[in-house]
Amino acid sequence: MAQPPLSQRIKGLERHLGVRLFERTSRQVTITKAGTLLLDDARELLGRSEALLATARRIRDGESGLLRAALPPDIAGETVAALLDGFRAHRTGVELELRELTTAQQLTQLAAHDLDVGLIHHPCDVTGLELGPVLRREMGVLLPRDAPAAALTEVPLTALTGYDLVLFHRSAAPALHDDLLTTCARDGYAPAAVRHGQGASFVRGLILSSHAVAFGPRDAHPAPAADEDPDLVWRPLAGAPLAWRHSVAWPKGRGDTAVSTFAQAVTQALHSTAAVTADAPPRPLHLRPTAEYWL
Amino acid sequence: MTNTPTRLKEAFAEAGVTGRLHALDIDSGAELGTGADHPVVTASVHKLCVLITLYEQAAAGLLDLTEQVECPPDGRASGPTGLSAMLDPVRMSLRDAAYLMIAVSDNTAAELCLSRVGLDAVNATTARLGLTRTRALHTFRAMFESMREDAGPGGAQALTDPYVIARLRALDPARSNHSTARDMTRLLRALWRDEACTPEHGAAMRRVLGLQVWPHRLAAGFPFDDVHVAGKTGSLPTLRNEVGVVEYPDGGRYAVAVFTRAARTAATLPPADAVIGTTARIAVEALRAGA
Repeated sequence: MAQPPLSQRIKGLERHLGVRLFERTSRQVTITKAGTLLLDDARELLGRSEALLATARRIRDGESGLLRAALPPDIAGETVAALLDGFRAHRTGVELELRELTTAQQLTQLAAHDLDVGLIHHPCDVTGLELGPVLRREMGVLLPRDAPAAALTEVPLTALTGYDLVLFHRSAAPALHDDLLTTCARDGYAPAAVRHGQGASFVRGLILSSHAVAFGPRDAHPAPAADEDPDLVWRPLAGAPLAWRHSVAWPKGRGDTAVSTFAQAVTQALHSTAAVTADAPPRPLHLRPTAEYWL
Repeated sequence: MTNTPTRLKEAFAEAGVTGRLHALDIDSGAELGTGADHPVVTASVHKLCVLITLYEQAAAGLLDLTEQVECPPDGRASGPTGLSAMLDPVRMSLRDAAYLMIAVSDNTAAELCLSRVGLDAVNATTARLGLTRTRALHTFRAMFESMREDAGPGGAQALTDPYVIARLRALDPARSNHSTARDMTRLLRALWRDEACTPEHGAAMRRVLGLQVWPHRLAAGFPFDDVHVAGKTGSLPTLRNEVGVVEYPDGGRYAVAVFTRAARTAATLPPADAVIGTTARIAVEALRAGA
C-alpha cells in the first residue's frame, strides 16, 4: 500500500478508536503502548474474520455440504475409522469426502483449491499453506525374526550394520529420503545397498530374502499381528532417531469451521491409534554466515 | 532430448526444492525459464535494487558516493557479516557500505544505504526500469523484526519448525519484498547494457557484484576459470536465491535469476544451494546451444 493512503487509514482508525496507535516522527514510526495492548485482540479478530469469510466462500461456492479432505496412503485403517467417527461426532452438517493422496498430490490439489484440507508429510514446500502443529509418528525397524538385533527390545541404528535397507524410491520424496539416510549415517548405520520398495508384501519379501531391514511406524505393524508373524518382527529404535512428521494443512485464509473440525478429528485419531507425539524439541541451531539472517 | 524447462524442474525436484528461474541472453534477448513470472520473495536480492538506486541518485547529483557515514555499534541491524558482526564504531563512505551490502550481504550496510535513499526511491527506480512485478514493502530491518515476532519466544531455533515457517510473513510474497525471476534478469540486462545508469556508475556496480564472496550457489555451477560470475544472493529460512550475470570468454553474457524454496527447514542444505548453479548452467548452456 502506498504511504499516504496507509497513513490516512491509520489516522481514521485512531479517530474511530479514540486511541493513538503510532508515534510518528519524520524518519520513523513506532507503535504506542496503547497500540501494543490492542494488537493481540486485533490479530484474533482478523483470524476470526478470515474463518468467517472462508465459510461464506464455501457456502457461496455451493460447497457448504462438502469438505474435500485427504490422507496419505500410509495411514492405518484404524486411524481412518477413528477419524471418520470423530468427525461425525462433531455434527458439523458437512459431509466428508475423504481421498487417499500422497503429499505431492495433496500440495497440487490444495494449490488448485481442489482440496480443502489434507494431512501432509514433512518435509515439503509449505508455500501458500496454513499448518496445524507438527505431529511425530515414531519409526521402528522391521527385521527378520532370526536377526540378532530382533532379540533387543529397542534396536540402536548401529545394530543394523550389515543389513541392506528397503526404502521408498527417492523420487517419491527426495527430501525425506535424504533426511532418513543422513540420520542413519550420522547415527552409525550406512547400508551397503538401498533397495526400493513400498508395498507391504514386496517389502516383506525383500526383508526375508535379501538380508535387509525396513523402517515403519508402529501403527503399520500392530503388536498382536507382528507377534504372530513367524518371520518378521517390528522393534522400536533406541532413542527414537527416525520419525514421520505430519501436519494438517489447508490453503492460507481458507481455514473455516469444517477445516478446523477435520484438523481436530485427525489429530485425535492419530493420538488414539498411532502413537503420535508432539514434535521433538528443536536441536541447537548454528547458523552459518551464508544464512544471511540472524535473529 | 528432454526440453530445458523440464530438465530444470527435474533438477529442482532432485534437490528437494521448488524453483523459479529465468535466463536471458543479454545481447540477443533469447530467453528461457520455468515459473519466470511467479511472484517470489527477494530477501537480500533486493539489495541489488538498493545498489542501483544509490548509484542512480549519485548520477543525478542527489548524493556523493564518497560521502562519509557514521555507524555506531548500537542499533545495528542483525546479521552474521560485515558491520552487523563488528563491535566498534565505524566511519566509511556510502560506496564502501554498498560494497559490504553486496559482497557479504551486510544487513547493517544495507540499512545505511537504504536509509540514505529511502524505500520509495528504490521502488521508483525499479518502476523506471520497467520491473512492474517488483516491490520493496519494508526495510531489511523491518523484515527481520517481523520474523522475530512471527518466530515467537522460540527464537531462531523455532525457524526449523514447519508450523512456524508456514506463518512467517517474511516468506509470503504478498507481504514481503518481492519480484519475479523475469523482472530480475530484466534489471541485470539493463545494468550490463549501461541502460540503468551512466557507464561509469554501471562499471562500478558490476565490479561490486563481481566481488560477492559466496561460492556455493550461482558460481558453483560454472567451475571454469575463464568464466566470470557476478551476482547477489538472498536467503531466509527455506528460501535460497541468487540473481547474476555469467560472462563467457567468447563474449556471451547471460543474466540468470534463480529463486528456490526448500522442502526441508534445515538451515544448512548444500544441495539446495548447489542446485542454483546446476540449473543456471543448464539454462545458460541451452541458450548457448540456441535451444
